[in-house]
Amino acid sequence: MKTHVAAWMAIAIAVLSLSGAPSAQGTTKAKPAPRAANGKPDLSGIWIATGALRLMAGEAELAAARKSDIDEGRPTPRTEPPPYKPEAEKQRQYYLDRRGIDDPMARCLISGVPRISFRPLPFQIFQMPDQVVFLYETHHAFRVIPTDGRPHPEDVEPSYLGDSVARWDGDTLVVDVTAFNTKTWLIGVGTVHSEKLRVTERYTRDSYNTIRYQVTMDDPEVFTKPWKAEEIFRLRPGERIREYECIENNEDLLRIEKLLQNESVFKRPSN
Amino acid sequence: MRTLSCSVCRSGITLLLGLLLGTVALSAHHSFAAQYDADKPVTMTGTVVRIEWTNPHFHFYVNVKDDKGAVTEWAFEGYPPNMLVRQGWKKDVSLKPGMTVTVQGWRARVEPHLIAAREVTFADGSKLTAGPPAGTGGQ
Repeated sequence: MKTHVAAWMAIAIAVLSLSGAPSAQGTTKAKPAPRAANGKPDLSGIWIATGALRLMAGEAELAAARKSDIDEGRPTPRTEPPPYKPEAEKQRQYYLDRRGIDDPMARCLISGVPRISFRPLPFQIFQMPDQVVFLYETHHAFRVIPTDGRPHPEDVEPSYLGDSVARWDGDTLVVDVTAFNTKTWLIGVGTVHSEKLRVTERYTRDSYNTIRYQVTMDDPEVFTKPWKAEEIFRLRPGERIREYECIENNEDLLRIEKLLQNESVFKRPSN
Repeated sequence: MRTLSCSVCRSGITLLLGLLLGTVALSAHHSFAAQYDADKPVTMTGTVVRIEWTNPHFHFYVNVKDDKGAVTEWAFEGYPPNMLVRQGWKKDVSLKPGMTVTVQGWRARVEPHLIAAREVTFADGSKLTAGPPAGTGGQ
C-alpha cells in the first residue's frame, strides 16, 4: 500500500514538473531551486552577475541568459540612476570627467559592497546552518556572514567590505552591511559614499540557475533617497574560483602616475 | 513565424531596456578610458617576441614592420590569466615567441607603442579574445 502511495506521488510530481506547472511567479522551471537540510533555500554554488557574462563568457552567452529570463518570465533587473544630492553628484561628475582614472580598483584596492558582486569574475557561496560564506575571485575577498541572529560586533572599524550580518525573510537571505570606509565606489565610476552608508542585500534563489539580487544603498549624507540596484546572478556549473593576484605586475600604477601629471591627456574635453 | 519574430523583438526590447537602465556596467580593465583611447582602434600584424603571463593584465610584445620596413616592438595588454583561461587560452601553447599574429585593439593615450588588446588572430585564422571591449570611462 505504502509502495503504491509513494509510486503515485512520484508519478504526480513527475507529471507536475513535466507539465511545467506555473510557479508563484508564473514561470516554468525545469529544475526547482534546491533547499538546505534546515529547509532554507540553498544559495551554495559558483555564481556570476549576468552583466558580467559579456566579459567572462561572451556576447552569445549573455544573449542566451537574457533570453532565458524572458522565457521564464523573470523581470528584467532595473537599476535607477544614483539619487545623489547636488554636492555628491558634482563629485561623481568630477570622477566621470576624469574617465575613471581615480578608480580604487586600478590600485588593486578591494571593491566594496555591492560593486564586488558585479565584477566579471565569479564568486562562490557556501551556506551553512548558522553562517554563509562568500568567496570572491576578485581581490581574493571573502565575507563570513552570520545568520544566527547575532548583531553587528561592537568593535568594528570602517572597512572596504563593511561588516555583514544576515537573516532569512521567508525564502530571501537579507544581509545588512555597515561599517564601511569611504575608499570604495558603490557600483560605477565615481559612485561615492560616506561612512554612514548602510547596504541591504536581498538574495533570492528564484530558480535552480539563478539568484535574484536586490540591493539598497542607504546613505543620508550623499543620497536624497536610498539607491536601488538589481541583478541576476547565474549558476556556473563546472566553474571554479581561480587565483587573481592583482598587484603582481600592475603597470597601471606607473602609467596612471604619469597621466596624472597631464590632465589634458586623460580628461574629457570640456565644452 | 509570428512567435519567432515576437521572441526576437522581445529580446531586443529587453536588451535595449537593459542598456538604458543598466548603470551596472562593467569594466575589467582598470581605468580603460583614462589610459586608452576608444577612438583610436588599430589592427596590427607582426611576430611575437615575448609574453608576460601576469596579473592584473597579461602583456605580449610584437615586432611590427611599418611601410618603410622599419621594425618596432609594440606592447599589448589584455586580461589576467584567470580570464584568459576562460576565453580558451593556454599558457605557453596559445601564444609563443616567433608566431605571426594579428591583434585588434586600441592605442594608449600617452605611450606611443602600447595597445589594449581585444582580439588575437592566429596564422591558421583562429581567434582568441585577449581583453575587454573599449570602455568609455562611465563604468
